[in-house]
Amino acid sequence: MKRYVLGRIIRSVISIMVVTCAVIVLVFMGVPRDRIFRQDQASLQKLASKPDELTNYRYNKWEDIGYLDFQPLSEMCTNSSDDYAACMVPGSDEFNRVVEQYEADGYTITEYETSDLVFASRDYSPLELVWNFLTSFIEIDHPNVIQDADNPDLERRIYIGSDFNGIPAVKCTGCEHEYLIYFDSSFPFIHQNWIQLNFGESYPTFQRRDTLEVISSGQGELVNAPTTFPNGTTGNSTLNLHTCTYKPTASMDRMDLNKFDTNYANCMSNYSSPSMINLSYIFGIAALVLAYLIALPAGIIMAQKKGKWQDKLGIIYVNIMISVPSLAFIFFMKLIGNSFGLPDKFPQLGFQDIRSYILPVIILALLSTASLMIWVRRYMVDQSNADYVKFARAKGLSQSEIFNRHILKNAIIPIVNGIPGQIILCISGSVITESVFAIPGMGKMLPDAIKANNNTMIVTLTFIFTALSIFSLLAGDILLTFVDPRIQLSSKGETR
Amino acid sequence: MEEREVILSAKDVEVKFRVRDRILTAIRGISLDIYKGETIAIVGESGSGKSVFTKTFTGMLEVNGDITNGTIMFEGKDLTKLKKDKDWEGIRGKRISTVFQDPMTSLNPVRTIGYQISEVIVKHQKKSKAEAKQMAIELMKQVGIVNAENRYDDYPFQYSGGMRQRIVIAIALACRPDILICDEPTTALDVTIQAQILKLIKDLQKEYGFTTVYITHDLGVVANVADRVAVMYAGQIVEIGTAEEVFYKPAHPYTWALLSSLPQLGVKGEDLYAITGTPPSLYDKVIGDAFAPRNPYAMKIDFEEEPPMFKITDTHFAKTWLLDPRAPKAEPPKAIRNLHERLLEITDERGDYHG
Ligand SMILES: Nc1ncnc2c1ncn2[C@@H]1O[C@H](COP(=O)(O)OP(=O)(O)OP(=O)(O)O)[C@@H](O)[C@H]1O
Ligand SMILES: [Mg+2]
Repeated sequence: MKRYVLGRIIRSVISIMVVTCAVIVLVFMGVPRDRIFRQDQASLQKLASKPDELTNYRYNKWEDIGYLDFQPLSEMCTNSSDDYAACMVPGSDEFNRVVEQYEADGYTITEYETSDLVFASRDYSPLELVWNFLTSFIEIDHPNVIQDADNPDLERRIYIGSDFNGIPAVKCTGCEHEYLIYFDSSFPFIHQNWIQLNFGESYPTFQRRDTLEVISSGQGELVNAPTTFPNGTTGNSTLNLHTCTYKPTASMDRMDLNKFDTNYANCMSNYSSPSMINLSYIFGIAALVLAYLIALPAGIIMAQKKGKWQDKLGIIYVNIMISVPSLAFIFFMKLIGNSFGLPDKFPQLGFQDIRSYILPVIILALLSTASLMIWVRRYMVDQSNADYVKFARAKGLSQSEIFNRHILKNAIIPIVNGIPGQIILCISGSVITESVFAIPGMGKMLPDAIKANNNTMIVTLTFIFTALSIFSLLAGDILLTFVDPRIQLSSKGETR
Repeated sequence: MEEREVILSAKDVEVKFRVRDRILTAIRGISLDIYKGETIAIVGESGSGKSVFTKTFTGMLEVNGDITNGTIMFEGKDLTKLKKDKDWEGIRGKRISTVFQDPMTSLNPVRTIGYQISEVIVKHQKKSKAEAKQMAIELMKQVGIVNAENRYDDYPFQYSGGMRQRIVIAIALACRPDILICDEPTTALDVTIQAQILKLIKDLQKEYGFTTVYITHDLGVVANVADRVAVMYAGQIVEIGTAEEVFYKPAHPYTWALLSSLPQLGVKGEDLYAITGTPPSLYDKVIGDAFAPRNPYAMKIDFEEEPPMFKITDTHFAKTWLLDPRAPKAEPPKAIRNLHERLLEITDERGDYHG
């Protein structure tokens, strides 16, 4: 079982990476690269009068995002010449030698519009795109990460200490993060900074932040709370001390020195509202629970009253739900909701108001009830025709005994196994629903990122959605072993 | 044959099914007395109504079926009057039990063997769970499960087909029923296991003294276990008698055909005898003898009037005009004339059949 699950996890990770890499190649090869600036007209406008700087800006961005390798002349000369000064003079022998060398290496040499300097650029091939992504994808924090010339005595070790609340935590000095593993009151209660996934910087929306940080850090207003700082002082602060990272000694200011006794002073803030990821989880889980609460009993009743009016009513509902486009359904539900005073858009009442959540959750849930109901009904009907049911009747059990003791336990098996499918449905449903209600979650982020040509964000979200679906499939199979005695997840040759 | 106590008495039973807007008459007036402690076999080709007929004893007809005529008396009660599951409480599974054909699917795959046995004991005998477990383990031992204590909590998939059928039998016998209906209990099993199961049922019958109704295609089985044999064709019993009478002095041409088509009787190098034609459609009213169109001995009257049950001996009856004194004498086909010796040979080969 353990070996099987491990094998499955490895295969799952491989499939996720394959999908992600495929999307990387698609996005980077398919999206015309000029498009990424469409949402960044302000910056381009500012540089419009300085064409060379504009060129640098554009190539720097492309390099940051991962399209190409960009080297202005200064970099070319640093990298490939022993005589930097001579190299920097266009037309000189050394200059010509370096240029030729770059051209031979497959670089394109371009002259700036106004100055007579040149720069080299080389587009990455699909293979390089994938390679670059994979080699920088996982960052593991360790005590030798920080190299700070101003702080030669920095202690380097990982240890178990306690946090500012006195709760045990795995801490580190010399690492990027002060806390490697810690507990707090927000879901899923145990958190880690040890292994960081790196998808690159978000651009052109949410600039200068890592994509993962964009979708995983809180939203809304800063929260000021009484805090005890590492050096013992107390005061109101918005800082989330669990997130602190190393700040070079040179940039430590007086405020930092007032609060912190170490260099781990670069902290994120506490926000009043959940992050995009958490918001999507909240909607997804609430909708999933509601969907099962509706569809399970409904499907069971349909099966028990097969052919009667309850069944027919259910089938009409399912047919309507399947045939009406979900967008039309969403807008229809919105109309109904509005007449009950529920808001049109999420931000109208905001995070704090329960009414912001009601309509989207109901819609998300109803969207997945149809398929669930029809499946549950089918499983139940299938099971009630099974031979063991006939034999149970011959044993003299009553209908309700047969149903509760025998049919239900069998029908629950495929239902449990189907939960992951429902999770995926909820995710894909959330893309539309979140957009329609302007809910700042991952679901809305995906079309937004596509519209804005935020390539790194697209890749990040693809990764998350793929990982969610693949791991929920695995979770479904593991759940299955709990309800079905016949299934023991094991690879060949392995015994229980 | 001495007077014996009748345990179940069916009179003129007729069963109809609604199929879309058509009516199918599956059982067309069967009268049958079943005696206490006997083993009666019901034979007949597929679709002749064997299962449907016995299902009426336990009210197990599918929802689209009804008993439209007749009575089935059991312990002074008319079983045809029982409609709801509540009415059947105390009879189905307790006094009259059924074992079905396929042991692979008769047990709930996700419940333990032990649960499925003790469930009936708790239900019908009002025992506590612990008592039921003790009784269930005892039963498991009786039906030949080795190491029963340890296998109590196993699931069906951990049992072989033969073992599962033993469990099914254990469940059916858990409440010491008066009648055990075995609907082709061994067809899904291989030959050696078949013999073991047959012997098991026989042994248990000797011990408990229940009455067995045996539905089967396998006439070899019949010859071995049955005291009496009823031959069914198109929803009727066309011949009934003691096993000896039906095997060695069969009177109905359908029985002749059935016996000559026994694969065991096939002579090397010769084609197996097969009954030609198909049974009549049960949707239509049958005129005359239902077997007439396939009967090489058919006479004019067979197509016009339904034959009555002719009495041959006190125990042997057949429903064919050939027994009318006015009918010409018809000889059974050669293949079945010296059936006695040949059957003995067959059962000798399968030594287990000697009970
Ligand atoms: N629920 C039902 N609805 C309609 N017709 C049925 C139903 N159950 C049985 N029948 C019909 O009744 C007839 C008798 O069926 P039955 O199952 O008793 O045959 P059988 O003699 O047991 O055959 P087999 O040897 O194949 O088990 C068949 O023609 C069958 O199609
Ligand atoms: Mg049958």
